[in-house]
Amino acid sequence: MNQYRFHNLATMLAFCACLVVGAAVPAAEPDTLVVYSGRAERLIKPVLDAFQASSGIRVELLSSGTTELVNRLRAEGSRTPADVFITNDAGSLERARELKLLQPGNLSDVDRAIPAPYRAADNSWIGLSGRLWVIVYNKNLAKPSDVASLLDLAEPKWKDKIAIPNAGSEYLQAGVSVMKVVHGEARIKQFLQGLKTNAGAQIYGKSSQIVEAVAKGQVVLGIVNHYYIYRHLGTTPDAPIALLVPDQQEGKMGAILNVAGVGITAQTRHLDAAKRLVAFLASEAGQKQFADLNKEYPLRPDVTADPALPDREQLRIAAVPLTRLSELREPAMALIESVGLR
Amino acid sequence: MSALTAVRHTAGSPLSVLALTVAALLLAPLLYVVTLALSVDPAVWQRLWATRIPELLTNTAWLAAGTALGTCLLGLSLAWIVVRYEFPGRQIWEWALVLPLAMPTYVLAYVYAHLASLGGPLDDLWQHFAGPQSHLPSPQSLGGTTLVMTLATFPFVYLLTRVALLNYNVSFDEVARSCNASRLRRLFGVTLPLLRPAIVAGLSLVILYVVSDFGAVSLLRFQTLTYAVYQQMTGRYDTTAAGALSLLLVIFALLFFAAERWFRQRSRFYQSSGRFRTWDRCRCGTGGTTLILLYLGLVLGAAFLVPAGLLVEWSLSAIAQHAVDQRFWGFAGNSMMLSGLAATVAVLLGTPLASLASRKPSRVNLFCLQAAYAGYVVPGPVGALALLVLCLHFAPWWYGTAVVVVLAYVIHFLPAGLQSLEPAFQQINPNIEEAARSLGLNAWQALRRVTLPLIKNGFLAAWVLMFLQSMKELPATLLLRPVGFDTLAVRVWLEASEEYYQLAAPAALLIVLLALPALWLLVARDWRASMRT
Repeated sequence: MNQYRFHNLATMLAFCACLVVGAAVPAAEPDTLVVYSGRAERLIKPVLDAFQASSGIRVELLSSGTTELVNRLRAEGSRTPADVFITNDAGSLERARELKLLQPGNLSDVDRAIPAPYRAADNSWIGLSGRLWVIVYNKNLAKPSDVASLLDLAEPKWKDKIAIPNAGSEYLQAGVSVMKVVHGEARIKQFLQGLKTNAGAQIYGKSSQIVEAVAKGQVVLGIVNHYYIYRHLGTTPDAPIALLVPDQQEGKMGAILNVAGVGITAQTRHLDAAKRLVAFLASEAGQKQFADLNKEYPLRPDVTADPALPDREQLRIAAVPLTRLSELREPAMALIESVGLR
Repeated sequence: MSALTAVRHTAGSPLSVLALTVAALLLAPLLYVVTLALSVDPAVWQRLWATRIPELLTNTAWLAAGTALGTCLLGLSLAWIVVRYEFPGRQIWEWALVLPLAMPTYVLAYVYAHLASLGGPLDDLWQHFAGPQSHLPSPQSLGGTTLVMTLATFPFVYLLTRVALLNYNVSFDEVARSCNASRLRRLFGVTLPLLRPAIVAGLSLVILYVVSDFGAVSLLRFQTLTYAVYQQMTGRYDTTAAGALSLLLVIFALLFFAAERWFRQRSRFYQSSGRFRTWDRCRCGTGGTTLILLYLGLVLGAAFLVPAGLLVEWSLSAIAQHAVDQRFWGFAGNSMMLSGLAATVAVLLGTPLASLASRKPSRVNLFCLQAAYAGYVVPGPVGALALLVLCLHFAPWWYGTAVVVVLAYVIHFLPAGLQSLEPAFQQINPNIEEAARSLGLNAWQALRRVTLPLIKNGFLAAWVLMFLQSMKELPATLLLRPVGFDTLAVRVWLEASEEYYQLAAPAALLIVLLALPALWLLVARDWRASMRT
């Protein structure tokens, strides 16, 4: 009986040894386009599937965190299998450009389609959709007139009534970067201290959790990207929440806009296919699908946004160039940590 | 005798070389972390001391201590009940109490975050009894996290103590009784000391598990060192701060190991004679039976039945949304293959370490064994980064393949396996083997006919434990998986981190279901062993 078992064990070990050898063979096929995406898979895969169907080019997707992927690209260096990098934060795209992980583009169609403020100077990356950093409030607990500016959230009257993202959030880092340029370091440090006091334990890793906390009345206000509010309303239409775009009055900073975008890696071995993907994403159909999947603003002026969104033309946007987000980020993170936010 | 020793000595040396090689491999990520931490700018240390470190250290220590206490109470009491008492369905309960091992901590954490949070079902229930103004304490706290970690890890203590109780020789107890020792005296003077190796082994598994856990603490937003390392790794381009925090984690774990070793060296017991008897089970009355069943039901319900039920419910609605397709089954295959491979390779690599350390505890051999424990204390994300860099440097042809992921699992989970492999070797009185050799068997025959049958159960337990843990592993898989090679755990994380909890449920449920046969294997072996006596 025991001997029989050990024969089994030996067979199993041999089988596993075969698997080891099998697994060592590289997985990606030569004619496959590899996309690294910091954008949630559910928001990018349908677009890539559509591209695959129309172009016949096979796309392999690796979804992960944005900064993680930049770190990974850098660690992989010349061995990276990635051809295209898609992510949700202009600062990270610009950072990848500075690290020479992306290659300057020469895409005349795309150049014309996407306005210059939403691209890298050398077209290493191209913005695809815009997202606003806004305030979500509980309609039963607050009126829209209670808050005019993001700065108001640091006022003592909101003690224990707000929810904020944690320090690892690219959105918070980008938001603080912009506010620091507009209002100055001292003012923003004071603001962050107020936020920390007011939020207490309500510091979340995920924006959707902030929206949920507001919807449940756990807190009154929260800071999130605008589409999280629509996503929540999509699953629970009667949730008592609404969106408020801050800093819109005359002379105010304007709302903070970040973009999701795409770049072709410096090491790609499928440049033509990668260019075709970028062109597809910047095309009218691609823009519409990419933006609408997550109720974001398409960046092509001739493509209309989802009608549920606040009208783009009416919005005042903070005047800090997206390309500066990368250089502003480290100091902003230092500031965030210096007040003890985490 | 001296000739025999000489033979054993020469036979041992290739094994020693192998052990040293394995130890070097396992130490590599740790060395990388230390190098990284030593290159940290003093300003970064200063910033970390001022803002993060005191809080992280106390949080991690309290969570580890709380969970150790909780699992000790649960694991010991449950093992005691199923071994000492007879009650309806005992054999089923005995088996079922292992089930929580199949439940990943991140799933349990999410389920409790959903159930006990403000406005969740448990909170509603609470308000029903305690009035509308009252709320349950938040699960996002030290207490909540400790509870979740305790429910997820108590089977480690339960399993090992149960086996120890089944193998417990009542003669010792009877001798004590014949000396008029009181019940309490016998418990603390005889029973617990004899169980100590098992308890300590179980608790060290638990503590290492808690300290290196990433999934649960991140969902419950409880700041521990490992979570902070992950935040530094994923939120920053500069990984030196992550290295600095990792070093603290490593020091924390090393202190813990020194203590554990010390404990264990003071408690090594051999079965000395052929007389071996176990306890007779006590039958209890209706009141006792009810109490026992209530207690077991409460623990099992909280740790497995309720979460599993919720997963089934969510999965059904996900299936209705056509979330389970061909791709999904591919992920399942990937998970099985990676975990199976990792467990097998780890057993193969762990054997020389464990056998040498317990049979020939020379300084070098003990060092090799300690080196293996390095993997568990290097947090998943940092270990993964170290492996990525080392692999690109030394073995670029492995880069981007499943080999690196398997290697990461082996490094990370071998300590868990060693916790079973080591006692397996320690249980064997070296005299038995020497007797076999003196009766004319050669080294191979003695190994095959005497040693292997004795350590088989330890091996199997080690394999299963490592398989289960690899299946649930998250941070290293995320960082190292080849393109297009997602596992079930990665799927759960990708969906759940975007709050698509229902869509995450089928993968989570499948992890649980795939773990069940492995658990069954584990328990069935124990079972037969206990039937024989």
